[in-house]
Amino acid sequence: MAQEEKKEDYPRKATCSNGQYPLDSNCYKILDEIGRGVSAIVYKAICIPMDSSVVAIKVIDLDKSRADFDNVRCEAKTMTLLCHPNILKAHCCFTVESHLWVVMPFMSGGSLQSILASSFPNGLSEPCIATVLKEILSALSYLHRQGLLHRDVKAGNILIDSNGLVKLADFGVSASIYESNSSCGWVGSSSSLSLMLTDFAGTPYWMAPEVIHSHTGYGFKADIWSFGITALELAHGRPPLSDLPLSKSLIMKITKRFRFSDHYEKTKDSKNKKFSKSFKDLVALCLDQDPSKRPSAEKLLKHSFFKNCKGPDFLVKNLLQGLPAVEQRFKRADIQRLVSLEKTDDNDDKEEDDSSSGENVRHRRISGWNFNEEGFQLDPIFPSDHKNKDGDSDRVTKQVRSTGETIVQEKGNERSFEGSSFSPRQNEVSDENEAASRGGGSNESHGGCSSYESGGVNTGVVFESLLFLKKSLDYQRQQVGQMIALIRGEEAAETNREDQLMEMIEKLRMELENEKKKRFDVEMELEFLKMRLSNE
Amino acid sequence: MKKLFKSKPRTPVDLVRQTRDLLVFADRGGPDTKESKRNEKMMELSKLIRDLKVILYGDSDSEPVPEACSQLTQEFFRENTLRLLILCVPKLNLESRKDATQVVANLQRQQVQSRLIACDYLEKNLDLMDILIAGYENADLGLHYGTMLRECIRHQTVARYVLESERMKKFFGYIQLPNFDVASDAAATFKELLTRHKSTVAEFLLKNYDWFFAEYNKKLLESDNYITKRQALKLLGDILHDRSNLDVMARYVSSEENLKIIMAILRNSAKSIQIAAFHVFKLFAGNPNKPPRIANIFDRNREKLLRFFADFKPDKEDEQFEADKSQVVREIVALECINRPSIQP
Repeated sequence: MAQEEKKEDYPRKATCSNGQYPLDSNCYKILDEIGRGVSAIVYKAICIPMDSSVVAIKVIDLDKSRADFDNVRCEAKTMTLLCHPNILKAHCCFTVESHLWVVMPFMSGGSLQSILASSFPNGLSEPCIATVLKEILSALSYLHRQGLLHRDVKAGNILIDSNGLVKLADFGVSASIYESNSSCGWVGSSSSLSLMLTDFAGTPYWMAPEVIHSHTGYGFKADIWSFGITALELAHGRPPLSDLPLSKSLIMKITKRFRFSDHYEKTKDSKNKKFSKSFKDLVALCLDQDPSKRPSAEKLLKHSFFKNCKGPDFLVKNLLQGLPAVEQRFKRADIQRLVSLEKTDDNDDKEEDDSSSGENVRHRRISGWNFNEEGFQLDPIFPSDHKNKDGDSDRVTKQVRSTGETIVQEKGNERSFEGSSFSPRQNEVSDENEAASRGGGSNESHGGCSSYESGGVNTGVVFESLLFLKKSLDYQRQQVGQMIALIRGEEAAETNREDQLMEMIEKLRMELENEKKKRFDVEMELEFLKMRLSNE
Repeated sequence: MKKLFKSKPRTPVDLVRQTRDLLVFADRGGPDTKESKRNEKMMELSKLIRDLKVILYGDSDSEPVPEACSQLTQEFFRENTLRLLILCVPKLNLESRKDATQVVANLQRQQVQSRLIACDYLEKNLDLMDILIAGYENADLGLHYGTMLRECIRHQTVARYVLESERMKKFFGYIQLPNFDVASDAAATFKELLTRHKSTVAEFLLKNYDWFFAEYNKKLLESDNYITKRQALKLLGDILHDRSNLDVMARYVSSEENLKIIMAILRNSAKSIQIAAFHVFKLFAGNPNKPPRIANIFDRNREKLLRFFADFKPDKEDEQFEADKSQVVREIVALECINRPSIQP
């Protein structure tokens, strides 16, 4: 209670008006690019009339937004009206031709994600995690009290400044509970707090199960799930399941037949990192499958894990020292990003590139997942206990169907299994595409971009890797076809039928297209003849 | 918050009354009151407004109770509480402004004995709309008053008042304010005014056709501001394509002046603007009764237009667009036969 009071005092004392920063692009001088998404770029800049103070400017390409600009409008509004020490606020926003400039405080430490990538590949220490997470919980508690969901909580959206102040950023996909039919707003469309939203937003790894199975609707507790995943991300240096490409992690969750790459065993073996009981308990609470059992942000603040939190100075000393500048990290991450794009479909490469794994990756179908408090990881639920005792070098891949007991074994090219563990579909490539662009820190039409996230997507490279991906998928498809022919199981036939149907639909679509063209030509000719007739 | 509630069980009616008393105090300004005393009262007011919000929206632990909402609403509109609250918004802190906005918004939808009593109240206090609209002139108030305004114009009579008031003309300036958040809020309200209540909008547009479209063309469509132009084109398309505005549309597409403006925008360098302009242009092309001057423009520009449409397509494939385009091309070709019946010997 006392805490809440303190926080509520804050807005009165702070200067929340945004009148001070000029609404003219000529007053700013852009220095460096520090982040990039699909339709937005973040720059480090100085504001000349304000003693050349440093700011961050998010430049959103409005030509890529829908014409009602509702998402952009809501993001701008959210960033103007929120006022909390742990939430990144906009100084002002204005348009420059077809671009929207959002001027924000410059957070010199960049995102926690980029700090992990650059200095802490195996995760942060517990005192650091606790200090960061507590600040984020304050922000979430404030947001939720306002009836707002963040919907994209992750280390990439947690920023830190040179004084060790931690802020939650990127409201590109935030939504208001009070206005469930539109993507955002402050005001209720129904008289009741329905607490449910149904559209699909966020970044796959961090998404709560109920967000992915979005027909059921979701509420504040989805942010709590993402918060739990973020805790794991800070602890291990990356989110769980992240050694799988984005779309696969997503599809796996959707189908509820989770494949699991057991890097938890690796981490147990290689790092043997010990986590405190209270930390494990905190994460377990957040990652409860049942949203109603997850505690609220308010309640989590009182968790014993946050008993001995340190101040911002502690973060300066333990996180920021020796850290390369955010613009340098961005440039480096940009290059890494390109590499990682190439390897999204190729685990053979991954073994060489991924510093933290030197082993082959085994994939198994699983029927669900549980948070394993002991191992501090998300654990797969296997339909039956098939222990894979084959050595890593053996290159044997097992697939365990979630419903049946069909086990497929094949020696040889491991890659052919990458895509075969779920039925390859024609839209696979576009899924990957979308996921890849999300990975770049942005969300489709939202024009959003995780301000400092170290993802940069170069269209040329994306295109190249997509082509490559498509080829590899086609190949995998063939392989799967052969395997299916081999097995002739009931389910396999079904997949086959689905494939045939897809092909048929595609063919029919082409025919329709041709017919349309023909019709148009004939009609043109008819017009022409009519014209001639009337002239004669 | 919950504990506080239990220690002082107050009825919704009590809460509204106490709020009103404090609003009267805040509104008067009371220069003779001590600073500390005043701060204390403002804090109390902030808490009360938050309590009102919790009753109307519920919180994470509880859903709103319809009976309590109904009592609150009734008491709220029994006297002048809404006016006081609106007038006091500038005196509230940011959090309370947001709470007040949510309370006002919610009250517009509350039914008491299946009547929207907020509507009855506003009909007798229409001047409140003038205060809310003027909020756009103040960057700090614009977003709060703007949201309240959009909720109030859910009532048809209120929307009609705003449409027909002198203030309507101000929107052409508000939506081009340099401050993007305020400008885009004004644009959202403007759009709501011109699309929500179909019959009222049609009536307004016919009655005010001359000044409205003169302003619209000059200030919005011909604006150099990218976002103004694009939003205006989109809205114009929506208005003209709406069945209830058929008469307005017929009049709009008979004007040579309008056609010239839209054709000029078709040549804009931004694709999304071109596409939006096309959705208006196709109405000119599809008009079965083209006045001679319009037909003449089409005739003179036939080749240029056909060449233009040959390469004109959106970045994403769009079947509807392709269908519309071939329809437009057909119309342009067909015009040729009507206009030049005697070229051949």
